[in-house]
Amino acid sequence: MANEGKGVKIDVEKMQKKLAEMKAKGLKQNLRDFWYGKPHSAEEGGRRLGEILEDKTQLYTHREWRGVKDTLYYMYMIWGYNYLHMVTDIVKYSNNPVDFLKGTFRYRWMGQTYLPVLHWFDRGLQGMRGEALRASAWHYRAMVSASIQQMCNFFNADTRLHHGKENEAYKHTFLAKETTWGGLFYPWMDEGYRYVPMEMIPYFVTCHVNSHTVHNYIDAAQSIGLPGDPCPMCQAEAGLYVLDDVPDSSPLAITCNEACDGSVGTAILQDWFINKPLFALPMPMQFDDPLVKKYCMKEIEECWKFIEEQTGVPFDWESMRKRLEKQNKLQRDEWEKWEVAAKTDYYPVNGVAQALFRIFSSQYGIQGDFWDEASEKVKKIMYRCVEKKINSFPQTRHRVIAWSCAPLYYSNWCTWAYNCWGLNVIINMDSLMFDMEIRTDSYEHMLEDVATYHMLAPMRRMAVGGMHHIFELWDYKEKFNCDMVAMYDQLQCKGMQGVHGLFEDEFRRRNINAFWMPHALPDSRTVSRAEIRSLINDYMTTVMHEEPLDPSLLDFDDSMTW
Amino acid sequence: MKKLSKKFWKLIFKLLRVFILANIVLFIVFFFDLDGKLMFYVVEPFLKKRYDSMERRDVLQEAYDLDKFPKYKYD
Repeated sequence: MANEGKGVKIDVEKMQKKLAEMKAKGLKQNLRDFWYGKPHSAEEGGRRLGEILEDKTQLYTHREWRGVKDTLYYMYMIWGYNYLHMVTDIVKYSNNPVDFLKGTFRYRWMGQTYLPVLHWFDRGLQGMRGEALRASAWHYRAMVSASIQQMCNFFNADTRLHHGKENEAYKHTFLAKETTWGGLFYPWMDEGYRYVPMEMIPYFVTCHVNSHTVHNYIDAAQSIGLPGDPCPMCQAEAGLYVLDDVPDSSPLAITCNEACDGSVGTAILQDWFINKPLFALPMPMQFDDPLVKKYCMKEIEECWKFIEEQTGVPFDWESMRKRLEKQNKLQRDEWEKWEVAAKTDYYPVNGVAQALFRIFSSQYGIQGDFWDEASEKVKKIMYRCVEKKINSFPQTRHRVIAWSCAPLYYSNWCTWAYNCWGLNVIINMDSLMFDMEIRTDSYEHMLEDVATYHMLAPMRRMAVGGMHHIFELWDYKEKFNCDMVAMYDQLQCKGMQGVHGLFEDEFRRRNINAFWMPHALPDSRTVSRAEIRSLINDYMTTVMHEEPLDPSLLDFDDSMTW
Repeated sequence: MKKLSKKFWKLIFKLLRVFILANIVLFIVFFFDLDGKLMFYVVEPFLKKRYDSMERRDVLQEAYDLDKFPKYKYD
């Protein structure tokens, strides 16, 4: 029964139920709930996170009460802090903040992504308390900062926002396909050049923050007669150009074949629509062959020659070396974190914050201090957890390794899975791809390692990079002490579909608890979030015979949510 | 001197009141997700309308000139 008046809905029945519950609990327990927040599980009188969300939109009736300390921390140090820094970052990275405003009105991915970003935090950090809340939020902060930097680099140089004028920023910007590692452009950064991945914000980040935006681009690609069955990532990236929704920010472009041949098709369309000097940098599929590596090293050097020729600025070893060393430091930080995650219960970063931070930072590369600052803060929190033996995920029932490519529109499924079932995603494939340092003692060593890094590529090494790499899962599962596998099943990835049965056989042979999670990477219309949850629920009840920690999260409608 | 001190404390109390009020307003916006609701029900639909009605370059009308640029081979 709901009383409706002037647009305000008051669910009287719900309120009465809540009041009755509070009465039954007694003053002491109510005060405890207020001060510390309600406990996690239903058995302990649980917090029932699903009940504070509006049906369909998943906007909050009210945001979660996490206890006095954590609620105030969330309000000031995450919500307020990030809103404030979203503004200061624009001032920091933009040549003229008005351009940022113009970009918001010009580009769909911009307006629809940037503004609801705090809800992205809410979804990823739902139910987190204490050190998990703090550490995971620092990873998010770094990603927001990196995103704003990219947006500013786009708009500083965009001829469309400057009456067709090719300004200095335009002449100092490299546009490249998003899976071309940012490190390839380090040699020119001391000279003021900036690298902007063409689709990282318009496509990749958009899917995480606002899953509806990308549908426009997928539909646009199909609207010109292209088939709908290739990888929707390739479709969306092509669709960005069909809708003319990528800034004109550079005199040149660099493309690659990304994860698979589908992207070659995208790159051809980009060549057509960009209509500028373009270098196509191959990414070998089967990269274990030393001869392939030699070929790749040569191609990278050709790419550098192309840049030298176009800019008139020579390769600068010192500029390359110092950024690679920063990147190596970030890799060593990650190894420290993985060591704690693998061997203890004190790792304070949740699954989604771990995965996105890692894939974003290792792909975008070093173009500021935000990765390092966040990493240092997280390490500090982590060592405090180790020292004081703080288990940030005390309701963990299963330590999960997530394998293959994740659904971008539901990357926060791991937060839901922990809250609902106690499934704690310790590590994932995307984090592990670039598991290496790059030598800086000589040009030859550097080139060799850069080629390896380039070839490992997102969705390459352990997705379509050959059986040996795809099956690295078993080693990493042992290494990270996991007892369950969340197996992503990208329905439109022909490569991974081909090995589905092999995984099934191996799971049975090795007696591994594993559940499949079908999805279509960015496209939430193919397999909805609700369907993904339903499949996990089925697995947890029928196979594992377990009860949910928070039954309010079992089944809800989030079809309209960002 | 006494007058000055009174004025000083008055200012402090005024600032304190503003500070407390601002925090209460912030808390209300935060706790009841008013920022999210504003984005979802007002800002996003407005922006979507704009993006949907925007005139765009028809890229398919442009010729794909394969020989416009060199091959960029450096053997």
